[in-house]
Amino acid sequence: MNVASRLPDSSAAALADRPMQSAKPPFLGFGLGLRAQHYDEILSGNPPIDWFEVISENYMLPGGQPLRTLDRICERYPVVMHGVSLSIASTAPPNFEYLQGLKDLARRVEPKWVSDHLCWTGVHGKNLHDLLPIPYTEEALDHVVSRVQLVQDFLGRAIVLENVSTYVQFNNSEMTEWEFLAELSRRSGCWLLFDINNVYVSAFNHGYDPLAFLNGIPADRVVQFHMAGHSHMGTHIIDTHDHPVCEDVWDLYVAALKRFGRVSTMIERDDNIPPLDELLLEVNRTREIAEKVLPGKLAE
Amino acid sequence: MSDFARQQGEFQRGILTGDDTILTEILDSPKEKRETLFGVYRYAYGSRLVEAVRNDHELLHLYLGDEMFDEMGHAYVKARPSEHPNLRWFSQGLPEFLKSAEPYSNYPALSDLAALEKALNDAFDAAEGPVLALEAMAGFAPAVWNDLIFQPHPSARRLGLKTNASAIWMALKNEETPPDAEVLEEPARLLIWRQDVTPMFRELPTEEAMMWDEAANGIPFGVLCEMLATYDDPDAAAARGAGYLHGWITSGSLTGVSAGD
Repeated sequence: MNVASRLPDSSAAALADRPMQSAKPPFLGFGLGLRAQHYDEILSGNPPIDWFEVISENYMLPGGQPLRTLDRICERYPVVMHGVSLSIASTAPPNFEYLQGLKDLARRVEPKWVSDHLCWTGVHGKNLHDLLPIPYTEEALDHVVSRVQLVQDFLGRAIVLENVSTYVQFNNSEMTEWEFLAELSRRSGCWLLFDINNVYVSAFNHGYDPLAFLNGIPADRVVQFHMAGHSHMGTHIIDTHDHPVCEDVWDLYVAALKRFGRVSTMIERDDNIPPLDELLLEVNRTREIAEKVLPGKLAE
Repeated sequence: MSDFARQQGEFQRGILTGDDTILTEILDSPKEKRETLFGVYRYAYGSRLVEAVRNDHELLHLYLGDEMFDEMGHAYVKARPSEHPNLRWFSQGLPEFLKSAEPYSNYPALSDLAALEKALNDAFDAAEGPVLALEAMAGFAPAVWNDLIFQPHPSARRLGLKTNASAIWMALKNEETPPDAEVLEEPARLLIWRQDVTPMFRELPTEEAMMWDEAANGIPFGVLCEMLATYDDPDAAAARGAGYLHGWITSGSLTGVSAGD
C-alpha cells in the first residue's frame, strides 16, 4: 500500500481559498451582551430581549455559578458566543487547547454562531489580552485566510469575525480595512460582525469617512451589528464600551440598516455597567429605528 | 520569519518593554502623533491586567489601598506576563509572586491573603460534582463502616497559612478594621469548598485536618479512626471521627462514599 498517496494534502496550494459553504445564520432580532451584574434580574424577570451574546471566555471554566447560569439562559433565549482570545491573526501557532475549550463550550451552548475579532492578542507565548491591529497586506490576508480555514475546520462551523477599533495604522498596508475584510470573507467563507461603533472610532482615528467603510463591506456577508459607546479624547477616540451609544453612532446605524437590511443587532456594554432597564432602553431604540428604516421587513 | 511575524514581535515588544522601534512602521493620524496613539495600547495593557488582578483580589485591594495595590499589580504584570488566553487565570501566580518578590515578601500576610482569595475563586468555578447526603450513609451496615472511603467534592481544597490572613480576610469582608498581621506559632489549616454556588472556608483543628488529608488520599474510615486515636483520647477517637465526618457531609464538602474494594 502506498501510504503517502492516502495522506491528506496539506500543501499550501491545496489549502488555499476553500471558502466554507454555510447557510447564513438566522436573523435573531435585537439583543444584549449578557453580563453577570444582570443574572438575577434576567432569570427572575425574563426581560423582553430577543437574544443574548455571551463572552466565550467567561464560561470556559470547569463549573460553578457562571456555567449554571448560562445553561438556564440558554433554555430561555437564543444565544451567540463572542470570544476575545481566538487571536486569529497571530503569527504564533494556534492554541489548540483554547480551540478545544471553545468547541466544548459551543457543544454545550449550541449557539446560533461563534464570533471573535479580526486581530491578534500575542506572540512568543505571551498574551496581551488586547485586540491588536494588523497591517492590511496581501501577506497578512493570506495568513488570516489560512487561519480562519483551519479554525473553521477544527470547530466544524463557519465563524463570524468582527472589525475592531484601531488606534494606529501601519505604513506597509496595501489595502483598506474594508477591502481586507471583504476579501477575507470571500476567500474563507467566514461571516462578518459589523461593529458600528468600531467603524466610527477607527474612521475618526484615521481620518476616513465611515460610510466608505460601510459601503465597502459586502452586504450579504454581515450577520450581526454591535452598538456600543466610547471615550472621546479630542484627538482620538478610545473604544471603552463604558458609555451609552452616542448620536453619531445611532446615525451610522441608520445608514448600516439601509445598506445591509435587517441584521441581528445588540448593545454591547463592558464597563461602567448600568442597571438592566437602562440598557433595555438602548435595545428598544435599536428595534424602533430598524422598524422605522425597514418598515415591514423585520418579520420573518 | 515572515515580515508579518517580525512586525507582530516588534509591536508586542513595544508594549511590553517600552521599546519604540515599532513606531517607524506606524503612521501619525491626521490629529495625533503615533507615540500617543501607540501609547493607547501600552496603557491599556497594564491597566487591563491590573484590573483583572483587582477583580480577583477585592480584599487584598481593600487591604493595600488603591495606590499600593496598583503599584503591586503593575509589578506583577511586569514580572509575570500572561501566558494563558483566558484572563480568568492571569492572577493565579499572585500568591507565589508576593511570597518571593520584595518588598512584598517581607509581609507574608499579603501572600497568604492572596492565596486565600485565589482558593476561594478557584472553588467558585471549580468542576461540578454530586454532594454526598447524610441519607446515603444510612445504606451502609455497621460492619462495613471501617472500610468506607470518602471522595472530596471537586471544589474542595486545603490551604495552609503561616499568618493570621484568614482573620484579616474576615475583618475586611465584614468591613471592620483588620487585626495587625502576625505570623502564627503554628500554621492555620483551612478547608475551602463551594456550597451550592458560594465559596466557603473554615479552619480545621489539627487532627481534623490530618483526617481530611488522609481521607482524601483514600484511607478508609476505620484506619482514620486509628490515626485519630494517636492525637487525643483513643476511646473517643471513633466518635470524634464520626463527628468530623458529619460536619463534612452536612457542609457539602464530600461528593461520594464507597465501601472500599
